[in-house]
Amino acid sequence: MDFNAIAEHLSVANVPGLLSVDLPRPPDKKTKDKGRSGLPHVCVDPACMVEFLTFCRDDEALGFEVLIDLSASDPSVDDENLWILIQLLSVRHRHRLGIKSLLPKSALSMPSSTRVYRAAQWHERECMEMFGVTFEGHPDPRNMLLPDDWPGYPMRKDYEFPKEYHGISCE
Amino acid sequence: MTSPTETSATEDEHKPSIRPADEVRILASGEREFFMDVATSDLEINMGPQHPATHGVMRVLLRTDGELVTGAQPHLGYLHRCAEKIGESVEWLQYLPYTDRYDYLSAMNNNLSYSLAVEALMPELEIPRRGTMIRMICAELNRIASHLVAFGTYGLDIGAFTPFFYAFREREWIQALFEKICGARLTYSYIRIGGVFNDTPPGWLREVADFCDVFEGKWQEYYDLLIENHIFVQRTANVGVITAEMAYDFGLTGPMLRGSGVDFDLRRDMPYLEYGQAHDAGAFGVPLGTGEKGTLGDCWDRTQVRMKEMIECLGIVRWCLEQIEPGPIIGNVPRVIKVPPGEAYVGIENPRGELGHYLHSDGGKIATRCRVRAPSFVNLAVLEDLMPGSLLADAVAIIGATDIVVGETDR
Amino acid sequence: MLGLIQDTGTLAQTPNEGTNFLHGLLQWLPLPEWIPDWVLVLGAVGVGVGILVGLVSVITLWSVWMERKVSGHMQCRNGPMYAGGWHGWAQTIADGIKLFQKEDMIPLGADRVLFVLSPAIVLASIFGALAALPLSYDWYFARMDLGIFTILAIGSTTTIGVIMAGWASNSKWSLYGAMREAAQVVAYEIPLGIALMVPLIALGTFSLLDASALQSGFYGMGWAIFQNPLCLPAFIIFWIAALAETKRAPFDLPEAESELVAGFLTEFSGIRWSFFFMEEYAAMFLMSVVGAVFFFGGFESPVTYALRSLGMEGTIVFSLVCFTTLVLKAFIGVFLMMWLRWTLPRVRIDQVMTMGYKYLTPLALVCVLCAAIWEAFLHLVLN
Repeated sequence: MDFNAIAEHLSVANVPGLLSVDLPRPPDKKTKDKGRSGLPHVCVDPACMVEFLTFCRDDEALGFEVLIDLSASDPSVDDENLWILIQLLSVRHRHRLGIKSLLPKSALSMPSSTRVYRAAQWHERECMEMFGVTFEGHPDPRNMLLPDDWPGYPMRKDYEFPKEYHGISCE
Repeated sequence: MTSPTETSATEDEHKPSIRPADEVRILASGEREFFMDVATSDLEINMGPQHPATHGVMRVLLRTDGELVTGAQPHLGYLHRCAEKIGESVEWLQYLPYTDRYDYLSAMNNNLSYSLAVEALMPELEIPRRGTMIRMICAELNRIASHLVAFGTYGLDIGAFTPFFYAFREREWIQALFEKICGARLTYSYIRIGGVFNDTPPGWLREVADFCDVFEGKWQEYYDLLIENHIFVQRTANVGVITAEMAYDFGLTGPMLRGSGVDFDLRRDMPYLEYGQAHDAGAFGVPLGTGEKGTLGDCWDRTQVRMKEMIECLGIVRWCLEQIEPGPIIGNVPRVIKVPPGEAYVGIENPRGELGHYLHSDGGKIATRCRVRAPSFVNLAVLEDLMPGSLLADAVAIIGATDIVVGETDR
Repeated sequence: MLGLIQDTGTLAQTPNEGTNFLHGLLQWLPLPEWIPDWVLVLGAVGVGVGILVGLVSVITLWSVWMERKVSGHMQCRNGPMYAGGWHGWAQTIADGIKLFQKEDMIPLGADRVLFVLSPAIVLASIFGALAALPLSYDWYFARMDLGIFTILAIGSTTTIGVIMAGWASNSKWSLYGAMREAAQVVAYEIPLGIALMVPLIALGTFSLLDASALQSGFYGMGWAIFQNPLCLPAFIIFWIAALAETKRAPFDLPEAESELVAGFLTEFSGIRWSFFFMEEYAAMFLMSVVGAVFFFGGFESPVTYALRSLGMEGTIVFSLVCFTTLVLKAFIGVFLMMWLRWTLPRVRIDQVMTMGYKYLTPLALVCVLCAAIWEAFLHLVLN
């Protein structure tokens, strides 16, 4: 199915958490809209992420067996939200779905999707250490790539690089 | 068998693990273990970060009971070079050399993935056909080179020292070809946004055709020497079995998925460049694991899929050589690229699985977010569940069949 | 070293023939009267030891160079080409000098006594085993009626040294190598010994000199492997067990390079490592010589037959030809071991043990039984 059919199916099935759909649009001089190119995605409420993903995985028509990617993005320092980005793939139907969740930076926590897809476990660990997101119910919340005592969350836009680490200069 | 939580909790405590008297273990051969009520503790041994078999700087903390592995915990980050953070501070084209360096064995495919993602954000950009054809040839030759390394180093891990040299002989030829076309042997930065940056030198296409002819004969030798060798089959069949459900759950892609019998290849099923047309013309097929030597989804199947993929790559290269015509090689790309605002995720078939880039642009010269979905990172997670229950020698075989490149695991 | 075999037919059974060497040497050298006997004995022994050490060193030197050239050519490359000029023949000598001047490192927490002792034990046991090898009919260190028994017995003490090395290194990976070694070598002693019993039954003697002499029929091609049909499967079992004993691929698990970094050898560097290295090549040579003597005629070949029919037995030329024949056969065996190493992958430890206990041992026992039945049958028919 193409993206529109998937979005249609999701809204018809009244899946919990589905908020809106973000499609590419051309720039519009009248409204001073710079436009949005690229590929479309659905916007999902982070609190209902587990139910949403469970539906995507178990539904016959959608059949998203594979979680391809789970990551986050800090769009800018001024933006009050952090984006959680998920990519799903259906092997038998040969289609993809992009999902975006907005997490307020003041309340950076959402349920862990490890119960739905085991692949989420390592991706969520990386998000936790890089962005400071808390995934509730994660079975193994250790640091993934950074040392266990690394200060701060590197991938945030307001991150200050440390001057030194255990006496080693980072200049 | 210890779950990951138990391993992490008791990793720092050196308490002996006393098994309850009524817990009986079934060994890999199916026999019940003869159990004596003696308190012993499992040996915690560190595999890596410097170890010949971990394919790079990676640490796997193993808990073993004699030769039987009872727990495994990969520790990454030794090669973390902050590629994603750098993506947010350099211009679009300046990021290209960084893409070479995650999976340094298949740099062409990395460049391709990134370029396709940027081009998805620039819909008006047209890629000329000659550029597409050269991209396909280079990507497929790089796939052969990468699989040759996988084959050679897997032989080394298993103890066969000679196939490594033979594989590298062919790989040297490919690297010489790449050196002629772009000047580099390992990290090319050749496939750029809009096409490729350098046209083929005279005689290059003829040499690629010669390579294809020579390689087919050599391939059969390597297959018979190592893959069909009885000792190799005994070491890899029935070892590290990944079922299709497990592969889906762990997000595995590429030969890891196809080795478990799942018929899915991004080049054929969600085609990019002109792979769709190549497949329709019968240029290549998709080899799958069959479980003929042991169980479906064991290490032998995955290795066999990689070997057979090399032959399919030759088909694609030959098709491109027929189809290629003179013309421009790069589209109308400005010197400093400004990508229109938007977001896109594009995933392609890397030799190791699906390599995807998620790019977010706000209209400027520099990306706002450059996320790399690295196949080796995702494929490695399966080790935590595969290793317990196998022997130490099998642990090496499993890591080798996963074919990870630590540059990609850590980025 | 001047014991004598009187003629081809009868073999001298004089005990303590070894003392002839001392007497011969002492009569030959113009030594002053006042030197006490024990000094002379020690001196003679020292000369013997010196010759043995020299021999082993030359064998190791040659084997290492051969290994590097053989492996190189099998891997489509050249191997050493530079040191010494022609095809790098002096490469091993250069490497030896380099290893000699390396820093002597003993890891922190290692058991110093065991760490220092283990290469010595390993080398001493292989020297002991090699001392029982005759170099020709007239050239031997000691005439032993139980030659092969001595060789197997002393040769198996290398295991003690290896286990000590693995334990004393204070490294978990070395311990793995040592434990694998213990399991593997002990397991394959059994089929090795049993498979060797087949030519012993065919030939009827434990002594290497006599065994070789008994294979001198049929124009020098009356080898044991042609004398008894069971000798061929016995040789195959013996060869596999010999590969496992010498820790050569496909059984090189104790020092499995890609799994255990270097197994029990990991912490040894410089001269200590070179001792283990020498032991490996000396053991390969030893197993090849044993195989050559008991299965493939030892000193005998059509050339020796020709020389014997010309009446040249007992001369230095004859001894030289015998020596050359044996060494040539041994080095063909060593080449075969090297060939197998660079072709085959490594077997897993549980598969090694399965093969040793479940397949080779029963097979070897069946071979011995059939060989005994064959000999008895032959005895009945010929009488």
